[in-house]
Amino acid sequence: MSTTHPGPARVRRSEPRPSAVTAKHLARAKVTRQRRGSRLKLWAGLVCTLLVVIPVALARVLPLPGPDQQDLAGRRLAPLVDGHLFGTDQLGRDLLSRVLHGGQVSLLVGLLAVVVSGVIGVVLGASAGYFGGWVDTVVSRLLEAQLSLPLLMMLLLVVALFGPSIPVITFVIAIAQWPEVARLTRSLVLVEREKPYVAAARVLGLHRFAILLRHVLPNVVKQASLVVLLLLAQAVLLESALSYLGAGPQRPFATWGRIISDGQDYITTSWWMVTLPGLVIVALVVGVNLLGDGLRDRARRRKVSTP
Amino acid sequence: MGSYLLKRLGQSVLTVFLTISTVFVLIRLAPGDPAAAYAGPLATTEDLAKIRASFGLDRSVVEQYLLFLKGILTGDLGTSYSFRSPALDVVLERLPFTITLALAAILITTVVSVPLGVWMARRADTTRELGANVVTIAGQSMPDFWSGIMLLTVFAVLVPVLPASGFATWGGLVLPAVTVAILQIALISRLVRSEMAKNLTAPYLTVARSRGVSERALVWRYAMTNSSIPVVTALGTRFASMLNGVVVVEVVFAWPGVGSLVVRALETRDYPLIQATVLVTAALAVTVQLLVDLAYPLLDPRVRLGKKVSA
Repeated sequence: MSTTHPGPARVRRSEPRPSAVTAKHLARAKVTRQRRGSRLKLWAGLVCTLLVVIPVALARVLPLPGPDQQDLAGRRLAPLVDGHLFGTDQLGRDLLSRVLHGGQVSLLVGLLAVVVSGVIGVVLGASAGYFGGWVDTVVSRLLEAQLSLPLLMMLLLVVALFGPSIPVITFVIAIAQWPEVARLTRSLVLVEREKPYVAAARVLGLHRFAILLRHVLPNVVKQASLVVLLLLAQAVLLESALSYLGAGPQRPFATWGRIISDGQDYITTSWWMVTLPGLVIVALVVGVNLLGDGLRDRARRRKVSTP
Repeated sequence: MGSYLLKRLGQSVLTVFLTISTVFVLIRLAPGDPAAAYAGPLATTEDLAKIRASFGLDRSVVEQYLLFLKGILTGDLGTSYSFRSPALDVVLERLPFTITLALAAILITTVVSVPLGVWMARRADTTRELGANVVTIAGQSMPDFWSGIMLLTVFAVLVPVLPASGFATWGGLVLPAVTVAILQIALISRLVRSEMAKNLTAPYLTVARSRGVSERALVWRYAMTNSSIPVVTALGTRFASMLNGVVVVEVVFAWPGVGSLVVRALETRDYPLIQATVLVTAALAVTVQLLVDLAYPLLDPRVRLGKKVSA
C-alpha cells in the first residue's frame, strides 16, 4: 500500500531525514506505469483487431474455396485436414471462408450502426445539452425509457416486422446504441456551453445554431468519439446475438452468430464448428475493446495533466 | 419524501404504459397473421375469418387497444393462442424461473466482482492489475451464446458434472447463471475498481490512516461504504434488465423462463402472450429500479430523496 500512499512513514527521530525519493518521483513512476499499460493495451488491441480485420477484408482475394461451395464428400472435416484451415461444416463448406465472408457483413453492419448511432446520439445529445428546456426533457425521458425497455425483445420484434435485411439490422443496432452517445455528448455540451467563448460568440450576434455547430460541437466531438470503438465492439456482439437467434442478415452470407447456431447441433462431434468462429468474434471484440480502452486511458491522463 | 414517491411512482407507471403501448402498436404493424399461424396451412379463408373473430382481431386496432387497456385494469390479458390458457398465467408460471436465474447471476456477480474490483483498486496501475484488467475486457468481449455453448460443452458433455439444459435440479442453474454473470462481472468489477481507486486516494482516507485505522477497516468500512451507491445502482440496473428476460442464455440452455417464452411467442405471433410478457417484465424491472432508488438514503445519509446529491 505504500506505493499508492507515499509519505514519511518511518520517521522516528525528532529531526526528519529527507529521502532521496520524493513524492514527485513516485508520481512520475506512476505515470510511467500507466503510460506503459495503455501502450500495451493499444498494441495488443491493434494486433488482435488487424488479425481479424485484414483477412476479412481480403476474403475475396485469398485462395479459399467459395463460402457456399458444398463438397458432400468432405463433410465435417477437422481443421487442417485437406487444406481446410478451420475444417468444414456439415455440408462440406470451408469454415474459414464462411467465417471471413460472413465477417464482411458483420463488420459492415457494425461500422454502419456506429455511424448512425453516433449521428443520432450527437445531434440529440448536443441539442438537449445546448438548448435545455423541453428539448432536454424529451431527450432525457427517451433515454430513461429506453433503459427500462426489454431491449433485445424489441429488437427481435422490429426485425420480425421489417425483415432481416442489412439496413434494418443496422438501424436496429443503432437504435440500441444511441443513448450512450447522447448521454455523453449532452454532459460534454453542458460543460462547454458555460465557457466564455460561447458567451463571446453570442455577444458577437451569432445565431444559436451557428454557435452550436461551429464552436461547441468541434470542441466536443473529439471527446465523444472516444466511445466509438467501444460502441463498435458492442455492435458486433449485438449483431452476432441477433443472428444467433435467427434474426440476422441472411444474404449474401450467413454472419457469425448464424454460423455458430448452425454448428451448435454438431458440437459433440465437431467442436471446431462453434469454437473457431466464436474465437474469431472474441479476438475482434477484445482487440477493439482494448484499443478503445487504451485510447480512453490516454485521453483521460492528458486531460488530468494539462491544466 | 411522500411527494417524491408519488412522482417516481407516476413516472414508473408512465414508462410501463408507454412500453406496452409501443409493443402493442409494433406487433400489429408486423407482417404475419396470427390466425394463419394458429390454423396451419390447410385452413380455408372462412376458417381464418372465424379464428380472427374469436381472437378479436376483426375489430379495429383502436378498439383492440381500448379493450386491451380495460383488460389490464381487470387483470385479464387475453388468452394465449398457442397455450390456449390465460396469457397472464402462462407468463406468471415462467416468471419464477427467470427470477431464480437473475438472482443467481446477480449473486455470483456480486460475490466475484466486488472483491475483484477492490483487489484491482488496491493494486492500481501495477502489472498484475493490468493483467486482471485484460481478463475483464476479455469477459466483456465474449458473445454470451458462445460462452454458454462452450461452458455447456466442457461441463455437460466432455466432463458431465452438470445437467446441460432445463431446470430439473439446482445443478441446472449453475451453467446459465455463470454464463449470464461473466459479462456482468466484467462490467461491475471495473466500476468497483474506479470508484474504489477514487476513494482510496481521497484525503479522508489519509486522515483515517494517520489515526491508525486498520487497513482492512480502511478498505471495507471507509472506502467501500462510500463506493457503494454507484455500485448498488449498477447492480440494480443490471438485475432489472435481467428480469426483462435473459433471452439469449435462456435459449441456449432451454431455460423455461420468460426470455425463451418471448422468442416462441414472437414466432407464433401470439399477441396476448407477447403483451402479457412485456407488461409483467417491464413492471417488475421498473419496480426493482424504484426500490434501488429508495434504498439510497440507507446507504448514504447525505442523500435526500428528490434532491440532487452534491458529492
